[in-house]
Amino acid sequence: MSAQTQRNVVTEALAQIGHCGLFLLTILKSVPRSFRYGRETVRQLWFVGAMSLTIIMTCGLFVGMVLGLQLYYVLSIFGGTAASGTVVAIAIYRELGPVVTALLFAGRAGTSITAEIGLMRATDQIAAMEMMAVDPIAYVVAPRFLAGLIAMPLLCSVFCALGVFGGHLVGVTWLGIDNGTFWSNMTANVDVWKDVVNGVIYKSVAFGAVVSLIAVFQGYTTPPTSEGVAYATTRTVVASSITILALDFVLTAFLM
Amino acid sequence: MARWLRFGYLVLLSSRAFPMTDTARPSTDAEPLVRVRGLTTVLNGKTIFDALDMDIPRGRVTAIMGPSGTGKTTLLKHITGQMAGDAGEVWVDGREVGTLSRSQLFKLREQIGYLFQNSALLTDFDVFENVAFPLRQHTDLPEELIRNLVLLKLQSVGLRGAAALMPSELSGGMARRVALARAIVFDPMLILYDEPFVGLDPIALNQVLKLIRTLNDTLGITSVLVAHELDAIKQVADHVYLIANGKVVAQGDPKTIADDGSPWTRQFFGGEADGPVPFQYPAGDYAQSLGFPRSQA
Repeated sequence: MSAQTQRNVVTEALAQIGHCGLFLLTILKSVPRSFRYGRETVRQLWFVGAMSLTIIMTCGLFVGMVLGLQLYYVLSIFGGTAASGTVVAIAIYRELGPVVTALLFAGRAGTSITAEIGLMRATDQIAAMEMMAVDPIAYVVAPRFLAGLIAMPLLCSVFCALGVFGGHLVGVTWLGIDNGTFWSNMTANVDVWKDVVNGVIYKSVAFGAVVSLIAVFQGYTTPPTSEGVAYATTRTVVASSITILALDFVLTAFLM
Repeated sequence: MARWLRFGYLVLLSSRAFPMTDTARPSTDAEPLVRVRGLTTVLNGKTIFDALDMDIPRGRVTAIMGPSGTGKTTLLKHITGQMAGDAGEVWVDGREVGTLSRSQLFKLREQIGYLFQNSALLTDFDVFENVAFPLRQHTDLPEELIRNLVLLKLQSVGLRGAAALMPSELSGGMARRVALARAIVFDPMLILYDEPFVGLDPIALNQVLKLIRTLNDTLGITSVLVAHELDAIKQVADHVYLIANGKVVAQGDPKTIADDGSPWTRQFFGGEADGPVPFQYPAGDYAQSLGFPRSQA
């Protein structure tokens, strides 16, 4: 890749980020108007939240089970299997819960938001709204953005609950760690504010905002062609995944 | 008695839903509804309009014709403020579109119906909800009145029985008629039709033609049609503009415009492959692009 091409790629990426930031301001400006479309926000909450529950619950359960199994194996070397409940909970609340939920959310809900808005643009539905004097940012974009923002912490809570349950299932039910030890160690060492609120609330709200913003931005600005929609959907997953992981590092550093 | 009282109540609510606001028509009926002056548009280095002048008279059906790519749809976008020109002015009902704020533009658009080439129905909603959509967005009418207004409009396009169907269950002609019902649900002063006859079978085409003429005459609407089909235009339009090379190259009565003798009308209405509109897209030397040496003439 020549230096000129590299410069163009960097310039284009920076321009996209700037454009995305301006788009966020436009959304925030139209949020008060979008309260008129409360039913649309609830409908989107159903699509991006409730419809994502199956994948979130299944993955949460298996992540907890795998974590329980690995930790039991490692901790048994040092005779510390009693701490597995604590470690499972802290790992899930602080990191795995918000990060994996956000990645799954980007793949399940983010792509569908991008594809839906992109197809609405390709089939002139967005232009038709403009022509009917209905602001598509307030009617189409803001409800989906708000729905993502609300759904992420809820989904993350479900993921964490199922993750801890999965860890318990493997550690206690299968491998025979004492039930009382598992729970008492966990409740004694997991801090509600430092671990649960920081991870499940702050991080997941931030990830929800980022994923929703990327999804609606990619959908709204996609070229109105089938190829354009396909690229936009892919870009949503790639950009969301990178941003989630980078933002996770920054947030972890600040929330430590 | 109770029925009449109920009717009166609904009429009262209806008048509250469509108030005469400060955006009520400030210009006189003698003035054209749409005036285009010196419109110049350049897209991707190509001049689409070159100081275009055009008047759309009130209450008539005006057709805009021209070869593909001459900017007919772009002109509709200028009229509705979806796109700004590089120079010139577009006036709609005494308001210069380019100077309107977004909220003023939306007020203007509430008085304009736009029929998209692909109908642009909202795919999440059924036919009824598609037609009811503008009413729900801009009024607080009771559900009963919305229902009556929507059924009234659907009846006028012959699709009252299709109210429960989803857009995916409609044929092209039916979708076009639903979009038309949606476009007239606010009784607009102007309807813009973008290629309304494309892809229609003869029956559906005649239905749409009849609807355009009937709606124009009965509701006193001004209609602007962008189309290629001269036979259809002859049946429905009062006036035709032929656009080419960024300008109006011919205009007049649709029944006689083809006979005006200009090379533009001869090529366009005669369907000649070559003429003022060249068959070949501008390109470099043919022999050279094939790798042959330049001929020594």
